[in-house]
Amino acid sequence: MSATGIVSAGDVTRSVAVEAIESRGIDVDELVRKLVDNAAAEFTTYYYYTILRMYLAGHEDYKAVCEDARLEDRAHFELIAPRIYELGGTLPYDIRGFADRAGCPDAFLPGSEDGTRDAGARDNVVKEATPIAILEVLLEAERCAIRSWSEICDLTFAKDPRTYDMAARILNEEIEHEAWFIELLSAARGDAARPSGHFSRGTPGAAPYSRNTPFGSG
Amino acid sequence: MARDRYLVIVDLPHEGRHTITARADETVLAAARRHGLRLPSRCECGWDLACAARVLEGELDHSRARRYFPEDAAAGFALICVAVPRSDLVIRTHQSAAMRHHREVHGLPAPASTTARAW
Repeated sequence: MSATGIVSAGDVTRSVAVEAIESRGIDVDELVRKLVDNAAAEFTTYYYYTILRMYLAGHEDYKAVCEDARLEDRAHFELIAPRIYELGGTLPYDIRGFADRAGCPDAFLPGSEDGTRDAGARDNVVKEATPIAILEVLLEAERCAIRSWSEICDLTFAKDPRTYDMAARILNEEIEHEAWFIELLSAARGDAARPSGHFSRGTPGAAPYSRNTPFGSG
Repeated sequence: MARDRYLVIVDLPHEGRHTITARADETVLAAARRHGLRLPSRCECGWDLACAARVLEGELDHSRARRYFPEDAAAGFALICVAVPRSDLVIRTHQSAAMRHHREVHGLPAPASTTARAW
């Protein structure tokens, strides 16, 4: 076996892929921290959107769009996780700490008192969870995601093409999500029409930019 | 007495001080941007500490913040992406790492990243 660079042949303690981006100025440890923070935000958003869409009965168009965004945020988490490990990082071993470090706020159900309201009682009706209030939560969650992924794009542009490509794919979908919720919230409020320019996905949560390759897909 | 605008001295580490005005209903970050200052921020929800600043003088209202603890206020930290002035201010920006350390010491949650780009 012959050496092909300054990493010794057969050395499994170093990664050329990591050193290549470090040599271009990427602080890999900080990048991993940001990716984990963003992964946590995608994961918690997926969780909270699951609750939010349950309160959109009778508003099937809102529910379908919420479902697309929910599943696509899960797809984002799935896409980020392998990159964290490639870069030598790891997901936190405790999901509580993982959720606490999310880079974006919890997308709480309106009226749930920031998640502290007793969710066990069957007669504990959350009257504040109106479609407009839910759409406002969804919109602000997407806006935070856009800011977070824009930062990763800026940080990695022309230095770390693999992370940049991933971040840009996710950002594409977050931008579409924001446009959807602007459109729907404007309509729900009876404001001027603000078309998003998009149609709903062909299949729920299709994630046209960011879908990860499922295991066993060949 | 409440006023409709306040003087804010923004102390940028390594760059010196800038004096700006902020409306009483305007976040310090928005006021800084209006004056052409580019300061770090990310979530812009008062959550992730990217915009953290030290309050050297004055008072801020953090009621719009999504995650801001009494310990943060007691230690003199502000999240200027959501904080609005309640008096004239002197603040020192770029305190994300210090605020994260403070949260860690007090067992309070925070994202792990301590850097943020300026917009």
